[in-house]
Amino acid sequence: MKKDQNLDDLFREKLLNYEQEPPKQLLENILAGVAGKRRKRKLVFWRIAGVAAAILLAFIAGWELNDSNINSGVQPIAVMQKTTPQTVTKIFNPIAAQARNVTSEAQQTINKGNEASQSGSNTAMITNISSASQENKPSTEVPINVQTNQTEIVSQIKSLTPRINGNNQTVLHLQDRLIPVAKTEQEELSIDQQIMNQNKQMLSAQNEKTKKNRWMVGAQVAPAYNVERSSHSQVYASNMLGSTSGKPVDLGGGISVQYKTGKRWSFQSGVYYSALGQTSGNSSSFSEANYAMANNGSQSYYAPVNIDANSSKMTMNSSAGVIQFSSIPSGVILGANSADKSMVSAVIVSNAQFTQNFDYLEIPMILRYTLIDSKFNVEMIGGFSSNLLVGNQTYMEGSNYRSLVGKTMDMQTFSYSGTLGLGLKYGLSKRIFLNVEPRVKYFLNSLNSNSSVTYKPYTVGVFTGLSYQF
Amino acid sequence: MEDFKPILSDCIAGNQKAQAKLYQLFAPKMFGVCLRYARDRMEAEDNLQEGFIKVFNNLKTFRHDGSLEGWIRRIMINVSLEKFRKQHLLYPVEDVSVYDSVNYSDDVIAKIAADDLLKLIQELPPRYQLVFNLYVIEGLSHQEIASEMSITQGTSKSNLSRAREILKKKVQENLSELDAKNNCTA
Repeated sequence: MKKDQNLDDLFREKLLNYEQEPPKQLLENILAGVAGKRRKRKLVFWRIAGVAAAILLAFIAGWELNDSNINSGVQPIAVMQKTTPQTVTKIFNPIAAQARNVTSEAQQTINKGNEASQSGSNTAMITNISSASQENKPSTEVPINVQTNQTEIVSQIKSLTPRINGNNQTVLHLQDRLIPVAKTEQEELSIDQQIMNQNKQMLSAQNEKTKKNRWMVGAQVAPAYNVERSSHSQVYASNMLGSTSGKPVDLGGGISVQYKTGKRWSFQSGVYYSALGQTSGNSSSFSEANYAMANNGSQSYYAPVNIDANSSKMTMNSSAGVIQFSSIPSGVILGANSADKSMVSAVIVSNAQFTQNFDYLEIPMILRYTLIDSKFNVEMIGGFSSNLLVGNQTYMEGSNYRSLVGKTMDMQTFSYSGTLGLGLKYGLSKRIFLNVEPRVKYFLNSLNSNSSVTYKPYTVGVFTGLSYQF
Repeated sequence: MEDFKPILSDCIAGNQKAQAKLYQLFAPKMFGVCLRYARDRMEAEDNLQEGFIKVFNNLKTFRHDGSLEGWIRRIMINVSLEKFRKQHLLYPVEDVSVYDSVNYSDDVIAKIAADDLLKLIQELPPRYQLVFNLYVIEGLSHQEIASEMSITQGTSKSNLSRAREILKKKVQENLSELDAKNNCTA
């Protein structure tokens, strides 16, 4: 024992305050590392913005290619199938690996002798160790230690303060002032029972982990900008309202449910309400609407209309489809070619604009892929939605009035849309997240079943809301 | 105790001159610590670098009621332990089956240079190296080592005892070489 003490003293004396000058370039590396981390934090925002911009650019490029099909007169319904990258499932069985480890370690570390009997007893002892009793009987049992799986490290920094031990030597002693730095979880096993216990624990821990925090519910509002995108047959177009524009901003929103299927993939559904609107103005066929009545000053607009001889219902061609008026609106001047007694083809003279509103209930099926997984999450979003038309109104709007005049005919009750976007998620707490998701939604089929009209608008919206994980 | 508050607040603010100064104050001693826990010089350099980056990034969590040197030293040790966990999970342990009783006189071993002792420690099997360092140099108890390394106290004791045996043997060999050298030069 005295020899041990001498040996310990020798090493402690010479090495406790041992110093050696580290290489010069190390300081530069450290300063660069510290500064780099600071810069990195600042750059995170710009990186995300860069990623978003790149995805958007790629999408727009794809969109432009797709767009050329629509304007060619042929009207195929382009179904954009978003390819889903295959995840490679890595099958890793930690328990099997552990078992192998145990075997090899056990072979290597069957230790002979024990500390208490240093006199030279070299009988090999492999005892069956119960974990509880082991610590109390170190002198009679020889543990066979197995370092097991390394998981995320959980440890703490404890500060060392000097203390004086029995030999009046200053040694450093652990105190419980803890500063988090790096964490580790390392377990030790002995054979048989401990391995079994460990396996059980791991299994249950694994199960628990997989069960944990997979669901997420959320509510979002989504201001969306609609972009009108349509093509028409020539005859239809020659008699159509012109200067159509998407309604600046429509407000949508809804609730979503999300299920995490893996580390990076999650699936989302829910119910959204979305509004689609567009406004049409003066006629695109002014030269043809050469009717005497129509020439009513430069401030007026000429909207070509058709009046059905049998039902006397007035209809009007818009880019989204034929608007059917419930009655002829008051305050408009109706003009027709005098040769056309039936007034099948006429114009109304008015400075009004016609706004068509469509309301949809949307059931999305969305796949999300996590690009950056930290406190600030970035996800790619892609998927399809079924849209149910629940509202269809046409308003006539002037400078100081707005009245419901009819609806758009032949609108499809069901339609399908594709969604592409970027999800930015910021953890407000462990379970509550703030989501901001710029998304582009494009309709895959024409919203109007009229064969002369292909109406496939797209919307650019920012889904903003909160979600709760459990 | 030296008041580090001004320099620490400069370091926290990102002042590189202050960081360099703090580094220069502690680097040689901490390199000594890292060398004891590492396999070789290169690993020690890596650990020192990683440790100091952690020091600077976590300086604001340092409470001024303890020794700064102790706090930094603890970070270095933690980085080293972490490295060990990552690298040497199943490192084969040298099996010392026979306990040789080694005899040497105390005044002779005092001649061995610190550098040589350091080398001997570095040559120990990794877990022995850690336990020996933590127990003998850092002065931790077996209970503390056990919780630190997630091993049992029995394991800690047995590792220490084996580390000592190996070191004794190597010290002896080292002394013989030393003697031989002295004889040649004499």
